[in-house]
Amino acid sequence: MSTLDPAGPSASLVAGLWWAMLIGAGLITAFVLILLAVAWRRPEGKGADERVWTLGLGVGFVMTVLVALVGYGFWVGERILPRDDGAVRVTAEARQWGWTFTQPGPDGALLETRDVLYVPAGVPFDIEITATDVIHSFWVPRLGGKMDAVPGRVNVARLMADAPGEHEGLCAEFCGIGHSVMRFTVVVYEPGAFPDLTVSGGDDE
Amino acid sequence: MSDAKRSDVTPQANPPQRALTLHRELTAVWSDLPGWRGVLASVNHTTIGLRFMATAGVFFAIGGVLSMLIRAQLATPRGAFLDTALYNQIFTMHGSIMMFLFAIPMLEGLALWLLPKILGARDMAFPRLSALGYWCYLFGGTIILLSLLAGVAPDGGWFMYTPLSDKTYTPGINADVWLLGITFVEISAVAAAVEITVTILRCRSAHMPLSRMPLMGWYMLGTSVMMLVGFPPLILGSILLEMERAFGWPFFDVARGGDPLLWQHLFWLFGHPEVYIIFLPAAGALSTIIPVMSRTTILGYGAVVAAVLGLVFLSFGLWVHHMFTVGIPHMALAFFSAASALVAVPTAVQVFAWIGTIWKGRPQLKLPMLYVLGFFLTFVMGGLTGVMLAIVPFNWQAHDTAFVTAHLHYVLIGGFVFPLMAALTYWMPLICGRARVPKLGEAAFWLILIGFHGTFFIMHLTGLLGMPRRIDIYPDNPEWVLPNLVSSIFSMVLAMGFALFVFDMVMQWFFGALSRRNPWQAPTLDWAMALPAPAYNFASLPAPGRDDAAAAVPLARGEGILPGAPRGWRETLVVEPGSGRPDHIAVLPDNTILPLATAAVIGSFFMLMLAGIYWLTPVAIMAIVLVVWRWGMVMGTGQDHAPVHAAPGLPLPLHWQVRGTLAYGGAVATLVADGSLYACLLFGVGFLSVVAPGWPAPESGLTGVWPAVLVAVALGAMAVGSVTARLAEAGRGGDLARQRALLGVAAGVLALVALAGLALLLDDPRRHARDALRGVLLGFAVVHGVIAALLALRTYADARDGRMGPSRRGATPVWRLWQDFALATTAVSALLVAGQELF
Amino acid sequence: MRWVVGMMAGPVLWAVLFAAVYALHGIGCAWGWTGVAAPFGSLHIVAMAGVWLAGLVLHVGILAAAPKGPAREARLHRMGAWIGLVASGLTLLPVLLTSTCG
Repeated sequence: MSTLDPAGPSASLVAGLWWAMLIGAGLITAFVLILLAVAWRRPEGKGADERVWTLGLGVGFVMTVLVALVGYGFWVGERILPRDDGAVRVTAEARQWGWTFTQPGPDGALLETRDVLYVPAGVPFDIEITATDVIHSFWVPRLGGKMDAVPGRVNVARLMADAPGEHEGLCAEFCGIGHSVMRFTVVVYEPGAFPDLTVSGGDDE
Repeated sequence: MSDAKRSDVTPQANPPQRALTLHRELTAVWSDLPGWRGVLASVNHTTIGLRFMATAGVFFAIGGVLSMLIRAQLATPRGAFLDTALYNQIFTMHGSIMMFLFAIPMLEGLALWLLPKILGARDMAFPRLSALGYWCYLFGGTIILLSLLAGVAPDGGWFMYTPLSDKTYTPGINADVWLLGITFVEISAVAAAVEITVTILRCRSAHMPLSRMPLMGWYMLGTSVMMLVGFPPLILGSILLEMERAFGWPFFDVARGGDPLLWQHLFWLFGHPEVYIIFLPAAGALSTIIPVMSRTTILGYGAVVAAVLGLVFLSFGLWVHHMFTVGIPHMALAFFSAASALVAVPTAVQVFAWIGTIWKGRPQLKLPMLYVLGFFLTFVMGGLTGVMLAIVPFNWQAHDTAFVTAHLHYVLIGGFVFPLMAALTYWMPLICGRARVPKLGEAAFWLILIGFHGTFFIMHLTGLLGMPRRIDIYPDNPEWVLPNLVSSIFSMVLAMGFALFVFDMVMQWFFGALSRRNPWQAPTLDWAMALPAPAYNFASLPAPGRDDAAAAVPLARGEGILPGAPRGWRETLVVEPGSGRPDHIAVLPDNTILPLATAAVIGSFFMLMLAGIYWLTPVAIMAIVLVVWRWGMVMGTGQDHAPVHAAPGLPLPLHWQVRGTLAYGGAVATLVADGSLYACLLFGVGFLSVVAPGWPAPESGLTGVWPAVLVAVALGAMAVGSVTARLAEAGRGGDLARQRALLGVAAGVLALVALAGLALLLDDPRRHARDALRGVLLGFAVVHGVIAALLALRTYADARDGRMGPSRRGATPVWRLWQDFALATTAVSALLVAGQELF
Repeated sequence: MRWVVGMMAGPVLWAVLFAAVYALHGIGCAWGWTGVAAPFGSLHIVAMAGVWLAGLVLHVGILAAAPKGPAREARLHRMGAWIGLVASGLTLLPVLLTSTCG
């Protein structure tokens, strides 16, 4: 369930962001350490102007990097947000310690399942997330970012899976004794080919 | 330092005396009592500061052992080492101990121990408050620790999110231990913040202007102001959650108009500034040590001060980045994302200023500098992952995973523990008078550095591979096994490093060779004294132009200001905050067990709350009032005193005869914290009424004319109190003060009666969050009304017993200040409730 | 002490603006201001941007009023004013950039 092995557009955008930030962070760390090494080894002499260090490097250089990065972050964030375009809607209700999902079933009617969520591949879906007892968090690392399940509220996240398959999901917010085992599965099916429930064991009460 | 310009204000030097005579005279006055009485009654900042640091060290060791248990459990995917319930207690306690019982007290201890020395004073502004803070910390910490031994430790994570921590989902006392114990400990944090603020502003050496004080002063001032504003949100949140748990007042229960997100806001409104509260003193140590170790001066003093200023403010605009996944709209997240990124700028300014300092100097690889280099490597990486987490979409993925665990350890160990170890090794000769034992320190450093990065570097990857925080088993994820095992193995190396560090300290303390004075050849005043530091710090206080380490001998011979202790009192100089012009002389309290007694009765209140014996708590509160009443006794004097000639040409009044005393400054600082608490309460009202799902509230019972009448009576009586406080101060010479103070007491009682009547009219606070909040607003008014009435009574007693006079104001300035604050906040509360009723 | 107060004026104004705009954002989302038309956009955006821009004008005023000269106190005063201006300018920029209540 690696975020670095994305299986949907949202996770892909974030993974791209991560690799860009990793390279930037590596370069900046190297730059600082080299400066430090040079500062250490150079013979004593007239130091550079104070303004080069504080205003030039401290403010100018850092601010430039940050403005670019934050702007990139806003752009990615806006692309991930749900929008009103009639996407498939599913719901997730978290409790101690499990998940109840509703989603369009094989016949188009709403289907309620426990700990397994069925979504079609290649189309975006909005997931309405809430909780009945304490705060939980819905997270499918390969599909995208997490969204908390808060009692009394309904939070909406937009996700999409590129291809049919199964993805592991988990509760990311500490929720008590059963937190470690509060897992679920997202079954992604070819649109129009809803999997046979008796085989994949969806509603396994 | 423009010495030429200063010399025109320099008082003449005092004549030199025999240093040993002065030393004996001062030691008799300033030292702790011998034997166990000294343990109980000490108020000296050196003693208390070291106690804080030593106790924090013990808690660090305990927290460290807990972390090793966590790593042992996670070393294998099916760890059967701990059961889940115990594991939850252990990680909760690890976080809580490290934050509240190690980091904060450690920095308080460093501040208490160091500030008077580096600023040129003999003690902190409020020595008894130092001791009170220590005892509250010790008792509160002990309660929390005992809960772990009893198996009922907090188990909801160190940020205690509701509803998991409410009565339904944590029915035992686990959460109460956290809420009450931590709040008890926070008393020491607020006490420390008050006295650090006042000490830095008023207890510097003569004519040391704010703009030229050692950078450590700026850093600690920033820290203490942040603590004054940043701790009240947590204290308020804890009070509210405990009231919900104990009495069913629904602040966080959605079904009755509360909202669990209110807890998150209050917690992180404290919790993020807290990170910078921890970082700033560490950065102050770096700004002190790096120039000394590089044989030069700091590069960019002004830029560093500006960076501190920027950090102090910006760090209050970041808290929501802990809440990026709770469902807040993107624009609001974007504000906090931008602020979280922007806060990297002042941090970077400091990092580059430090590198520039090394650049212009001649760096020496002594042990403290080794830790400084460890800081650079670690903290730069931690800062960069912090910027990553500030970016909203990345945060959605990384939040609540091991990536965050890795990040926060890089920041806290890199940004606090490494500088702290640099500071400890740097100041150890001043603490114990001995030089270190060779080689051990280097070995400890390498073990810590390798152990740390081995443990936490790979943890970033573990998080990105999807491992969430706070799980105890992961049987279905073979890809997490290797990184966890690596972390666990290196964590044991890290633990060995810390153990060796402590061993090195102990060896130095007992077996190190005697150190010469000022072993690092540092310029600051903390080294202008004998080793180890004497109880009184300076035999005479530094004068302008003689306020650096080179003045050690003249100061010891009494050539500075206010030599010796000729009156047998603990005296220190108080200056005007900005310029450092000498203002008056404060007579500080002597050894006393009053702080211990006060902490004990406060502790009895918390214990009764914890045991659920609520009906007995009023007795504890009465006891607290009685003990605190005793504190005021030594504040006064029954006669006028002649000015003291601190130096030839420098006559200064004693503090009883001035208005702007340290105590008055302390009252102002306390009200800043109090005002922050009140502002958070107003935020709670606003937040719940706008955002919580369960609104509008049911029909209000505050109808008819009676509520308005009672409010008017209460406000009128408080206004009368404000007027009488002024009149009592104006009439302080004669009987008028007594009569007016008595009128003030009567007005205070009338206000309380009216407020009590109002309490009877309130709707059941258990019904809805609106009604509960009204109960809290009323409670706030009552508490402040009681304290105002007590201050009026104090003034009456002072006037009656001759502690006031034409030049002696007693407690009237503080009474007036408090009375005005009570009036203002009560009026705002009344307007707020009236607004709710009308609209 | 005057310069200390002056140095803090900019950052204090940032804190006030940041709190005010954040509060307006929450209130606007809760009370449906996004759907209320106003000149230059929805009432929500106009309210937030109005407060923000007015604040920026004040910030420039604080900067202009700061003393000139090389004395350390004056420099710190000016740096404080700059910190406030830059912080307000950047942290509230999302008012114009991101979607409001989504």
